[in-house]
Amino acid sequence: MGIEISGHDSIGRVSIDGELTVHTIADIKTGLALAVLEHEETEIDLGGVEEMDTAGLQLMLMAKRCSGKTVRFVNHSEAVLRLLDLSNLGSTLGDPLLIAKHGNT
Amino acid sequence: MDMNQALGTFVEECRDLLAQMEDILLRADSADPDNAVTQDDLHALFRCAHTIKGSGGLFGLDEVVAFTHVVENALDRLRGGTLVFTPDLVSLLLDCKDHITTLVEATAQGDPPEAGHGEALLARLESALATPGGGVVTTPQGVSALAPAPDAAPEPQPRVHASGGGAFGTEHWHLSLRFGPEVLKNGMDPLAFINYLSTLGQIVHVETVSDALPDLFEADPERCYLGFEVALRSDASKAELEGVFEFVHDDASITILPPHSRVDDFIALIDSLDENERRLGEILVSCGTLTRRELDAVLAAQRAEATAPRLGEMLVHQGIVAPPVVEAALVKQKHNEERRTQEARSLKVPADRLDTLINQVGELVIAGSAVQLHASKARDTELQEAAANLLRLVEDMRDTALRLRMTPIGDVFSRFPRVVRDLSKELGKDIELVINGAEAELDKSMVEKIGDPLMHLVRNSIDHGIESPEARTAADKPARGRVVLNAYHESGSIVIEVADDGRGLDTARILQKAVERGIVAADASLTEAEIHRLILAPGFSTAETVTNLSGRGVGMDVVKSSIEALRGTLDIESHPSAGTTMRLCLPLTLAIIDGFQVGVGGATFILPLDAVVECIELPQGSDACDYLNLRDQVLPFLRLRRLFDLPGEPPPRQNIVVISFAGRKAGIAVDRLYGECQTVIKPLGRLFEQISGIAGSTILGSGEVALILDVAQLVQHAAARPHGRSGSKHQHA
Repeated sequence: MGIEISGHDSIGRVSIDGELTVHTIADIKTGLALAVLEHEETEIDLGGVEEMDTAGLQLMLMAKRCSGKTVRFVNHSEAVLRLLDLSNLGSTLGDPLLIAKHGNT
Repeated sequence: MDMNQALGTFVEECRDLLAQMEDILLRADSADPDNAVTQDDLHALFRCAHTIKGSGGLFGLDEVVAFTHVVENALDRLRGGTLVFTPDLVSLLLDCKDHITTLVEATAQGDPPEAGHGEALLARLESALATPGGGVVTTPQGVSALAPAPDAAPEPQPRVHASGGGAFGTEHWHLSLRFGPEVLKNGMDPLAFINYLSTLGQIVHVETVSDALPDLFEADPERCYLGFEVALRSDASKAELEGVFEFVHDDASITILPPHSRVDDFIALIDSLDENERRLGEILVSCGTLTRRELDAVLAAQRAEATAPRLGEMLVHQGIVAPPVVEAALVKQKHNEERRTQEARSLKVPADRLDTLINQVGELVIAGSAVQLHASKARDTELQEAAANLLRLVEDMRDTALRLRMTPIGDVFSRFPRVVRDLSKELGKDIELVINGAEAELDKSMVEKIGDPLMHLVRNSIDHGIESPEARTAADKPARGRVVLNAYHESGSIVIEVADDGRGLDTARILQKAVERGIVAADASLTEAEIHRLILAPGFSTAETVTNLSGRGVGMDVVKSSIEALRGTLDIESHPSAGTTMRLCLPLTLAIIDGFQVGVGGATFILPLDAVVECIELPQGSDACDYLNLRDQVLPFLRLRRLFDLPGEPPPRQNIVVISFAGRKAGIAVDRLYGECQTVIKPLGRLFEQISGIAGSTILGSGEVALILDVAQLVQHAAARPHGRSGSKHQHA
């Protein structure tokens, strides 16, 4: 459970595991903010997210909106997709690959 | 839902609505200023017709819809003030209401409604609508163009088809959710609520409002910054939807707009939220709650900051939607809410389940008595105490169970305003009906059976009792006659009075008629009260002219026997030129009574405890008499042994149970007194129905059968017997 940050100078890689809820959000936010701050581009891997709530959703939104930075979410887990679907934010926070595909057709 | 069941509900609902219509129409006809019809009543009137039409459309009852539609149009004009109540219009609308009743009842019976009558009424209604004051001559075709059956759709999901495109407010609920910053820390997850909403209906659209979201680096990730706009298609009530947010209610701002809300609701919603109004408007549009055109209208209205008229009015002014359409939507919405609150207060239970319950409680009473009997035989004090406790509880339960079936007598009374109105018109009399004590309750089975006898009494009062206005004025009485229906409880029974201030019973004429018909001998000397009771004799009628009301071959004797079948009595009190009062005294229930158990020889009898006044010892040496001196009053008495021809010799000491009924007392001589007991009345078989003096039977705790004595007949029997002659056996009634 938690957040793991790795990566090169330009692209930061963050992967989040386990809970992305109000219980863990404070730690995850700190780590995520650091990663976003240090890199121009950040890719966030959500494959390990087993549980997510509104706190997680709004953190995703805040990260995405960070001015001057590029933040991508990849590898959405079931739990994440379910919530994006519910909040109708799939197009904003969805997987870039899927959107790209969709856009090409 | 099963269609037949739904149809049953529809018919029931229609009955309620039609009764409401009748009530309002009758009030419109009365001169009483306290009871005048208000604008609210006019709205209610319209709503009734409107709902019947709408629900009728749902079941494909074209006749009901077509007819009610024209009526509704007239009611709408009344409501709008372009048509005013006149006595003729009230009569016409009452006739129309009756016709709707006929149509609906025909549906309930599964018969096709008869054609013809409705068309005649419609023609009259249309000509009434075309009279000056309305200005516009409305034909049915014209009407339907105005109001295109706005709500021929299922109740729970009101639907409005606007004629001009642009239906305002859509079919779904709009929920505007703004959560307080602390909800997340308090363990509440806004998205979980939305997820839960999806179990109540179909989520059409969710818009996440993230305008308040701060910069990532400054944010406190445990605070909630998000809001949601949700479009939900659901049959749930507003209360149910509000219930979803019960736990965050203090910590969030939740606005729930029902389908087809008003423009000022939207304005209020937009005003109440901090977001840019244009943006919020866009959200409403993307949720499908508003169309772009409507949004423009709302925003324009908001800018204009006029007195925020209802959306409907505004759209009508702008010619977007016809008034009935919008009104229909608003009315429907309000009506649904009203009905839901009513449903919450009471519960509908099929009558047969209650009957089963009461039967079972009856059996329990018998079983309880058996336990008590055996306990007292066993001489076990603890067991006796437990048994007594049990019996007390069972008695409480019996009372509660019986109360379940109690309905107010007002249900019966409610049909009389109409009867009095129609009959007095027919007879050219001016009569006012006063109803007192409509809240007095009695068993439902009694309510059903008391209607016809009461109707007969009321008709008699109007027809025979109250004089014509001229005769009244000549007799120094107010020209307006008065019929009073009065109900009250008295010592375990209910008393219902039908009183009039008419001419009173004409004793001379009654006596003359009775002699003519051979009911009494010409030289009989009768008291006034006895003469009054002659009108209860079979085949007696004093009406000199056969009117529509009387002369139908149903006389007071039928009333009397139907009341007696309910173990009740009918008393007549009449004063010349001051009026007549018919007093019905009925038991509250037919199922269970408190009994008083007595024994003669080997047999056991039950007397209703309410009727028992006292018990005394039969004085020695009064074997030959049928009356005794009770504190200087003559008390006639019956010997049960002789009355029923029971075998065996009387014991040396006999007892007299003094019973009283309808103001008269009589004694019953018995061998033994056993005391009080719970008595479940079992009807006698058909074979024994004609036996006088017996009202029913019951099963004792020991398993023996005991007969329940009919106090009314016994008292009459004792009083009617010529004094000094004893030993007459019981007679057939």
